[in-house]
Amino acid sequence: MEQAFVRQYAFHFDSSVCTGCKACQAACKDKHDLPVDILWRRVYEVAGGTWKKEGGLWLPSVFSYYLSMACHHCEKPICGEACPTQAIYKRDDGIVMLETLACIGCRYCEWACPYGAIQFDPAARVVTKCHFCYDYLALGEPPACVAACPMRALDFGDLSELRKKYSGLREIFPLPEASLTEPALLIKPHRDAARATKATAEVANWEEI
Amino acid sequence: MPSTAAKEWPLIAFTLLSQIAVGALWTVTAAVLFSREAGARGALYRPSWRGLVAVIALVVIAAAFSFFHLGRPRRAVFALANFRRSWLSREIFFELAFLATVVFLAVVSRRRGEGTALLEGAFILASVLGALFLGSMAKIYMLRTVPSWRGLHTPLSFFLSAAVLGPLAAASGGPFVFAFPARAGAFINGVLVFVLAAVALIVLTVLLFTPKIGFLGTKKRTLLEFPARRMYPFLVFRFLFLAAAVLMIALYHEVERGPLMILAFVSALTAEALGRYLFYAIYGRLGV
Repeated sequence: MEQAFVRQYAFHFDSSVCTGCKACQAACKDKHDLPVDILWRRVYEVAGGTWKKEGGLWLPSVFSYYLSMACHHCEKPICGEACPTQAIYKRDDGIVMLETLACIGCRYCEWACPYGAIQFDPAARVVTKCHFCYDYLALGEPPACVAACPMRALDFGDLSELRKKYSGLREIFPLPEASLTEPALLIKPHRDAARATKATAEVANWEEI
Repeated sequence: MPSTAAKEWPLIAFTLLSQIAVGALWTVTAAVLFSREAGARGALYRPSWRGLVAVIALVVIAAAFSFFHLGRPRRAVFALANFRRSWLSREIFFELAFLATVVFLAVVSRRRGEGTALLEGAFILASVLGALFLGSMAKIYMLRTVPSWRGLHTPLSFFLSAAVLGPLAAASGGPFVFAFPARAGAFINGVLVFVLAAVALIVLTVLLFTPKIGFLGTKKRTLLEFPARRMYPFLVFRFLFLAAAVLMIALYHEVERGPLMILAFVSALTAEALGRYLFYAIYGRLGV
């Protein structure tokens, strides 16, 4: 449903129920007909912990959780600050848009984005990114990723409304400090997310994303 | 994530050639001002226009290399559009302003009889624009999301590359390209002392500010970062080539053979190319 007077579109992600099925990733790729190696929405598998020896037994103290990440349409989009051509701009509804006809393919935005949201398309020789399915929003439909999630782990809406609805975080491992770009994102963390740090956990599926 | 340094060869070439051009222009400007300070009013050193054309050629070739970095080079003119916010736009603006001023200088230098004040002013303006060009170039990389580039080592390495390579390029081509005046010995000696000081500062910058291994370098860790142990071979070879450049400069001081200066330049260029490769290799951003 398209929301009236949206000031900042945002995603909510419930990591506690995500099973890592990647339906969101596949729906996005399908909807936008993305080429191989480009994923506007990516599901990160975070894994950590170790095995502990207690007496003669080795007991597991391991954990894993998933993070479904796309462009977070940041309130302070560093990609837009970096772009020399003004190809990246914010709409009135907060969606960070990319005008590919103005992109020169310098990839400076790709260096800058801490969420890996901007990806270079070698065939088109420009960068690409999630645009929140603004075409679906105009029709009153949810973004493809949100509609595809079988666990209802993804939700979207105006950031202020989402904040009333959910009490979410904006930074859990491996995401950066939110103050860097002020992402329009709320995350309900998995119960093990508090255990994950750079020292204790890793992204386990780099080859997929 | 594999190191992206190898694919950044256009930027390695662009940054180094630009820094040589700016450094050479600074050297010639110093020669112009030195000739005035030496009490030679009315006999102002006028660099040959061929030397200035060489600076122009360096900037143009550097820009040509940068086009290989772009996915859509035909749209490059759009890159000036975001001067208000993007350091990349500012870099290109100052590059073009620097280039235009050096072209003006080359034209004025070909015509005799132009006022010395005009010439001096234009040299100083070009030097300032060159500094702004290199400053903007450094700021491009000092992203708040990229701790490995956001440090003093980035502007220091860019300016120090210019301070070493520019004077060496100008001095090694000097007699043929810039036609330094006959009593330029003292000036050349001063330039070489300056270069040696800049080499010492490069070594100090590396030891102090290199991310993860420098005493004051950032220790912020990122995912998929370039391992510190792989940085050491680059640093060792960079220091060896810098030492070779210092040796050539010392030998030149003794025997004043032009080829020694050229060898010093080539050694220093190799050292700085290794340093620049490592600079791109250590890219690591916060987040994913």
